[in-house]
Amino acid sequence: MRAGIFICHCGHNIKHTVDVRRVSEYFRKIPGVIVSTDYAFVCSEPGQDIIVESIKRYNLDRVVIASCTPSLHGDLFKDLLKKSGVNPFLLRRVSIREHCSWVGDDVELNTEKAKRLILAGLYSASHYIPLEEKMVEVEKSALVIGGGVSGLSAALFLARMGIKVYLVEKEAELGGHVRFLGNIWPSGRKGRDIVGEMIEELKGLTNVEIFTEAEVTGFEGFFGNYGVTIRQSDRERKVIAGGVVVASGFVPFDPAIKPELNYGKDQRIVTTFDLERGIEPPDLPDRPRVAILHCVGSRDEAIGKSYCSRVCCVNALKVAETIKGRYPDSYVESFYMDVRAHPRGGEEYFEAVQERGVLFTRGNVGEIVPSESGVILRGEDTLFGEVYEREFDLVILSIGMASSPGNRTLAQLLKITLDKDGFFLEAHIKLRPYDTAVKGIFIAGSCSGPKDTEESINHGRASALKLFGMLNLGYAFVDPFISWVDPKRCSGCRQCEEACIAKAIKFDEAKRVVKVEEAACMGCGLCNATCPSSAITLKGYMDSFIGDEISGLLEVV
Amino acid sequence: MEENRDKGPEIVGFACSYCTFKASEMAGSLRMKYPEGIRVIQVPCSSRVDPAFVIKAILEGADGVFVAGCHPGDCHFIKGNFFTRRKIAALKEMFKAFSMDGRLKLFWVSAAEARRFVDKVTTMYKELKEERDAGKKN
Repeated sequence: MRAGIFICHCGHNIKHTVDVRRVSEYFRKIPGVIVSTDYAFVCSEPGQDIIVESIKRYNLDRVVIASCTPSLHGDLFKDLLKKSGVNPFLLRRVSIREHCSWVGDDVELNTEKAKRLILAGLYSASHYIPLEEKMVEVEKSALVIGGGVSGLSAALFLARMGIKVYLVEKEAELGGHVRFLGNIWPSGRKGRDIVGEMIEELKGLTNVEIFTEAEVTGFEGFFGNYGVTIRQSDRERKVIAGGVVVASGFVPFDPAIKPELNYGKDQRIVTTFDLERGIEPPDLPDRPRVAILHCVGSRDEAIGKSYCSRVCCVNALKVAETIKGRYPDSYVESFYMDVRAHPRGGEEYFEAVQERGVLFTRGNVGEIVPSESGVILRGEDTLFGEVYEREFDLVILSIGMASSPGNRTLAQLLKITLDKDGFFLEAHIKLRPYDTAVKGIFIAGSCSGPKDTEESINHGRASALKLFGMLNLGYAFVDPFISWVDPKRCSGCRQCEEACIAKAIKFDEAKRVVKVEEAACMGCGLCNATCPSSAITLKGYMDSFIGDEISGLLEVV
Repeated sequence: MEENRDKGPEIVGFACSYCTFKASEMAGSLRMKYPEGIRVIQVPCSSRVDPAFVIKAILEGADGVFVAGCHPGDCHFIKGNFFTRRKIAALKEMFKAFSMDGRLKLFWVSAAEARRFVDKVTTMYKELKEERDAGKKN
């Protein structure tokens, strides 16, 4: 073995709690390690050059890169090895940032831990064998789940680029929540017009199939060839989709969960969404007293929703402005925690609304009590530190967004992950905000967290663009991490056949041994762990790899 | 080895790529802290963990071993974690005979549950440390 070890400082991220110099010096003494070096940013161009040059100069056959977690920059370093003429499966990434420098503060202990982690990686890599990536054809079609504004924008983008699109919507009509919105800030356009244009264009395209009142009931396969079952009333249809955009949207927060607000028990208590949908509030006097409550169903630990819904502050400002416009002599008071008018122009809009005479009182309302003469609000003004009690003719709750209860089923079906609030989790919060952990499945719009209309459209397009990039290649590489049987060792006990979830193991009656159907193997390694004769091996995660990794982790350094 | 032992228990963990390993990555990104003695090995699925690996880790000097995967029903490989559950339960029975069952843990952590991951491993670490300290006193 001729191994090269490259240790990244990641600027200060690794260096500040791991003595990288000492680590790299330590490895120079290890047999089989030809070169061991550390560099500020191994992923940068000069850092990559160091690796390429070292491979050429020392004729390396194993490359160990100790840096960030393997899921970041994975393809970058693989390509680097490919270009240098080394099989990319002889690369070992060791995470000394997410699993070492960021989780411990003690420099001594961290340095020791980093040494052991790299040692484990090196031991494991010493057993690595070259593998060939399998190339599969990619079906140029996409499944878009959800026909709201983000799903529509994703579908439209993909369809315009010539991808066959299957759009699945659970309701009878496309357009999601946006179609109810009367006035989308800041353009002032009607939601129905915005989605209407999209729907019209989508329906005019020949490569789009729209399924309304439908749901996805079956999902199998891998990127490039997902087998999807769509159920529409009592009919089932099976299609092949190359990739998926999940845009299943949100549900408006139901204020009835908070009984102290008395929502639904009095006509004078309405939500912003009720008003948008055209539910008319009861007749108001000429000089109405109107209260607007921010953060209903957002930033509220008591009901398990600690997140900010991002859209409700602007909604509250908009509704305040509307009332001031309709009743110039009205008394409008907003009760807020913080006003987060985050979109561009939001702060200016907040100022403008204040100038129109809308009062802002800091302090959430604790209780809403309907009475004959009006609705009484009680709470504490946190700026003055005093308790208030005021009477209003109309109370408007600016409600937030909650995750759709259907997300759970969808997540289990597609094998993607939900976060603690029930929204879909992105693969990386900053670097891969559109991807899920599963290749070829993207998320778009408010199913991955509260978003306004503009953001949802952008998110849909971005996800569609990323998916298009993958589909348009026409082919994809799959990791060759599949099981392999050594016929000499196989005793034909068929335990693996029984265990295999993918039914990829078949028994050869003539030879009395099992064999693996490569196309069907998912690469979980269950058979490897089941086989009593060690005859079956999962490539990429062989017994010797993991066995020696354990030894490395526990070795005295 | 003696010198190292004073630094606290050493725990080797097997984490599935799709859930627990992702959670451990996230714990790192969020700068959550857990003891240095905890080290994670990435496996494609928790069902890849051969009970022999657990025994090997114990033989090589690990104070504890954990196997962690996706929550039941969420397994990327459909039902791999059910096999893990059965296998580890059987192994735990064996460990019980040697009063070592505290040294083996199985838990489920989804990709979003970085906090849960840290809680689980830290609790395990503390339990092992207390157990060992109690042993020393006697």
